[in-house]
Amino acid sequence: MMIVESIRTGAIEIWSHKTRSFLSFAAIAFGVAAILYTFAHVNEMQKRTRETFELAGPGRININKKRQRGGEESPGLSKGLTSGDAVVIKKALPNLYMVSPHLSTWAEIQYQSFREHISVKGINLEWKKRNWLYTVKGRFFNQYDIDTAARVCILNEPGGWIEKPWWMRRAKKRWGWGNKFDEWVKRVELVGRKIKLNDQIFTVIGILKNPPQDKDPRWIGRDASVLIPLSTAQRYFNDQQRGGAYVPDALSDIVIDTGDENTVDTAMQRIKNILTVRHRGEEDFDLSDWREVVSQRLSRQKEQAIQILSVGIVAILAGGVGIMNVTLATIFSRIKEIGVRRAVGATRMDILSQFVTEAMMLGALGGIAGIAMGLVGIEKLARDGADKLEALLIWHYLATLGISVFAGFIFSIFPAYQASKLDVVEALRNE
Amino acid sequence: MIHLDNITKNYGSGETEFQALKGVSFEVPQGEYAAIMGPSGCGKSTLLNILGLMDGPTTGTYRLGGDRVDDLSDELRTGVRRDQLGFVFQSFNLLPRMTAVGNVALPMGYSRIGTEERLARANKLLKRVGLINRGSHTPLELSGGERQRVGIARALANKPDLLLADEPTGNLDSKTAVGIMNLFKELNAEGMTILVVTHDRAVADQADHVIHMMDGLVREEERR
Ligand SMILES: Nc1ncnc2c1ncn2[C@@H]1O[C@H](COP(=O)(O)OP(=O)(O)OP(=O)(O)O)[C@@H](O)[C@H]1O
Ligand SMILES: [Mg+2]
Repeated sequence: MMIVESIRTGAIEIWSHKTRSFLSFAAIAFGVAAILYTFAHVNEMQKRTRETFELAGPGRININKKRQRGGEESPGLSKGLTSGDAVVIKKALPNLYMVSPHLSTWAEIQYQSFREHISVKGINLEWKKRNWLYTVKGRFFNQYDIDTAARVCILNEPGGWIEKPWWMRRAKKRWGWGNKFDEWVKRVELVGRKIKLNDQIFTVIGILKNPPQDKDPRWIGRDASVLIPLSTAQRYFNDQQRGGAYVPDALSDIVIDTGDENTVDTAMQRIKNILTVRHRGEEDFDLSDWREVVSQRLSRQKEQAIQILSVGIVAILAGGVGIMNVTLATIFSRIKEIGVRRAVGATRMDILSQFVTEAMMLGALGGIAGIAMGLVGIEKLARDGADKLEALLIWHYLATLGISVFAGFIFSIFPAYQASKLDVVEALRNE
Repeated sequence: MIHLDNITKNYGSGETEFQALKGVSFEVPQGEYAAIMGPSGCGKSTLLNILGLMDGPTTGTYRLGGDRVDDLSDELRTGVRRDQLGFVFQSFNLLPRMTAVGNVALPMGYSRIGTEERLARANKLLKRVGLINRGSHTPLELSGGERQRVGIARALANKPDLLLADEPTGNLDSKTAVGIMNLFKELNAEGMTILVVTHDRAVADQADHVIHMMDGLVREEERR
């Protein structure tokens, strides 16, 4: 085959019909960009999941209070999830690395003229055992704070972005996109100050500075804005009632870390047994294995990726039809040339391969343009552009390029075959 | 070289069927300079396309250098056309976007000759047809006579055994035509077998063998 020759004529042909060629590979380029983005996205997701596991430990179990729906009120046999549950679990399974009970709620924070509804979470010292990626300004809680149900609080300062994509910055400026609390914590010096949570006065003892969001592997959404001792939360922010009686040590959830992936299943079974007995058979809690949570999240993200991928594939198909169109047009305008080439000795195969080569070159151009577009797009538009780009491997580029070249190949076969079937004399007579 | 036996060619079918060749037989021995003459529409081009293996006869046998070539597959036919035949067209049929060298080198590409040799041979052929400094020009930048010289150089590219030409001087003025005629004469003197279709008595006069056609048949042959 005259590959080099075909490429040369192909290049001349593509160059001399720039607009037509450009239009035909533009769609391919969009498709390639979308596919590249999908690769980057999936890759980064996997990387983050790995990091999350390393950070959170593989032995995580969440116990969540089941939300009570109206009309399904508990008969009051069970008190719901309580600190007592946490204590018993800890006693029954002394090898657990962490048993961290929480009570989450909402409150109005007030400081001078600043007022905002924010989430508040009561925690104890166990909380610090996992997910610890903060730097502390001021101090963290100590046992004394917990024991005395002190009215002290720690504010969560978001990490912000190292490099926020420009469009997010714009949007924030224009529409006030962004979190008021976050802005406030960042702006005002608060350690040692007194703030109000609902009607209680609290002293800010520390600020937890989160790592920058684009480097934070804890991608499971944001934590509560204000942390307070669990005992304090139970005293001032607890409205749990069961069967008409107030539950003083209510919890909203307990996070457990067995410290080892292999013990998760047995631990879960035992915890379930303990809680079922303690709650007198009332199933008012949800036990979830962290791995399950993560895999659910992953599969949701994967679904998203597949959607983007299908858009990419559709775009490439559209581009392929474009290439088919261009190949047909090219052939139609070059019937005479085909006749001449056949007359001087080109076989049908030579003609076929020439047009297929040309279409594959168009595909390759589309692929290259698409990769360029994808790279620029990810860098400028995506949330963690740099990380996403880093996650791309050489084979991702090759695969996307391959797909677009293959599209050129597949979609030109039919028109090129038609061209190769032309009658020599008829073709020569064509003007 | 050429051995034709009772060649017919039908166009169309049924009502519109038309017989362009009605049983043509003649021979052209190796090294001969032959010319075909005849009124317009008598089937000269049809015959030459069959001789040039660009079209097949409806019936009859065609032997080229002793081998039957009328019943070959398309691929084999293309191979013979490429390696043993050179075809010169009335309207040149050069590729407009290629330079003269590129046009001449084209058939060699299809016979898989390496780029370097191809260019060297193309330049030599251009020199042979008297176009030393025109190699990098495209056909649009060449005169009619020069274009036909490029066409002849291209026909000679794969060192054919037989050169076929369909009214090679038909699109040229008489002065330019003489140059082309001389070139044919020289090529024949070097041993090339040539078969020319022409309306031009002057062209026919320099041939060894003139075949007169009429209504799809050979009416008369003169040999000198
Ligand atoms: N593809 C075709 N379909 C039908 N009829 C055809 C076809 N090609 C040629 N003919 C007819 O066959 C006859 C011979 O045509 P041909 O081109 O061989 O004539 P010619 O001798 O070369 O004429 P000229 O000297 O004008 O070039 C003509 O009557 C022409 O109309
Ligand atoms: Mg004719």
